[in-house]
Amino acid sequence: MLTLLKLELEKLLRARSFYLSFVVLIAFVALMLWGFYTYAARKTGGEAVEQFKYTYESKQYFNGLTFALYSLLFSFTLLLPIFVSMSAGSQIAGEARSGTLRMICTRPISRVSLILSKFLVSTFHAGLLLTFFIGFNLVVGLIFVGWGNLELYPGPFNLVDVPGKIMRDDALMRFGYAALSGTWALLVIAALALLCSVVFDSPAQAIVMTIAAYLTLYIVGRVEFFEHLRPYFFTTDMDFWRDVFKPDIPWQSLWHYACICGAYTTGLLLVTVVIFERKDIVT
Amino acid sequence: MWVKLVLLLLFCLMILGAVHFAPPPESEKPSSSARFVHSLRLLTWNIGYAELEDDTRAHDQDLPAIAVVILREDPDAVALQELTGNAQLNILLGLLHGKYRGAVAQQGKGDRFEAVLVKDTGATFIPVALGARYALGASFRPREDMRQVVLLSAHADAFNAAHRRTYTEALIDWAQARAQSSEVFIAGDFNFELKAANETNLYTDDLKHDSESYSHILRYFRDLGRAAGHTAINDRRIDYIFGPATLEQIGRVEVLRDAAVGRMDHWPLLVEVGL
Repeated sequence: MLTLLKLELEKLLRARSFYLSFVVLIAFVALMLWGFYTYAARKTGGEAVEQFKYTYESKQYFNGLTFALYSLLFSFTLLLPIFVSMSAGSQIAGEARSGTLRMICTRPISRVSLILSKFLVSTFHAGLLLTFFIGFNLVVGLIFVGWGNLELYPGPFNLVDVPGKIMRDDALMRFGYAALSGTWALLVIAALALLCSVVFDSPAQAIVMTIAAYLTLYIVGRVEFFEHLRPYFFTTDMDFWRDVFKPDIPWQSLWHYACICGAYTTGLLLVTVVIFERKDIVT
Repeated sequence: MWVKLVLLLLFCLMILGAVHFAPPPESEKPSSSARFVHSLRLLTWNIGYAELEDDTRAHDQDLPAIAVVILREDPDAVALQELTGNAQLNILLGLLHGKYRGAVAQQGKGDRFEAVLVKDTGATFIPVALGARYALGASFRPREDMRQVVLLSAHADAFNAAHRRTYTEALIDWAQARAQSSEVFIAGDFNFELKAANETNLYTDDLKHDSESYSHILRYFRDLGRAAGHTAINDRRIDYIFGPATLEQIGRVEVLRDAAVGRMDHWPLLVEVGL
């Protein structure tokens, strides 16, 4: 199993898409930095002062931690799931497309081990991607925006009901928690993509189907017509990762949704294993 | 085979964990209305109709039902919004059998009025100019031995968050100036859209303006009805009663969800506090 894992890791590190995901995230952070700078310049003077007497958006509010939080919350919903889908969706279907799957399966390794090693590699990629993204945002925030406390207000991001504050050191710890909770949430996407990768022989099909399922549920969950269906979508449960940024972390609710996400992940993985074991590999 | 069993076991454990950590249902949560401290009871109610109606202001045929709710709950003062004018107020005062005195705000650009009803016969009513709109304040003493209380009935713009923000700023300036000499309460329909989950965009200026407005109020006042939940259709919490930040005794806090009649889209919010 360890040898298999090592081989899969090597494959991941050799793939161009692996590096592409980091390049795109770096470009996204650059874009966010530009947007944040121009927005902060307008909102701490100019327009805001002319129109309104009071504002919380002072120069202290716009700091590196706020920047990192904005960047992370904006990207987590749509950007990171795409890369996780790409990575996990091409695991089995990619082998099938390149004609190596049949050969791998003729070797003395169980199909279950193959699936598990591929899932662990996808997990590693998701975790690394999120940790890198958080770390990079914090470094860029520190260098270009400066540090302070993390101030939170009701409304944007739906994190608090009343204005709240997380002190700098505690806030940094929260970003660490977010790397863990975010990776755990992204594993649902990884497991779904791996299932699609087993069902479809084309990696493009597997990735598109995963992203389509995710986006459909995400969009439908945002439309008021379907608000009663919202609690049954995994996209709703995945949102639990953000709770670590609440001034008082709601641990009970966090564990509840983490368990639901865990059930989705293990359930999908189990189905994937069962299907793959019975699959007639003809490619 | 054992891998599949381990996965199945993990799946079951996760389900059990989810059940174990499930938050208690609403009915089992401790209610803020359990403790009763009756010193001052306030009620706010936008008695207008939903947007789909031809006339979204209050309707005369609903006034008897509104009077029944007010008489049943017996608040010391009531803040009403979206009345059609003085004539409607006088009908309502008549239905309240002279138990309350009241006044409507000055007419601004709109076609609807805020009003305040107070039990205290010595109450004075104060027009409050807030840019292009008007609110109405009432100064009264609920009991002989209590401090003077000022209740403001306010209604912020329903369609423009920037207007809501400038309105709120002016309102809080006015209220702050009176907070030294009286206990100031602000009640009304502020139309704040603070639930980002309902927004299709990740971040909007409207959301930010409402966030700024609400946060500005909370710098000086306490949101007394927060525990009571939504006050209007579509799960919107847009009606508020704000009280002094130093207020410690809060009794019954309730949205009276059986009170709406006709095509009303708001429910009354009732708050009891000890001064």
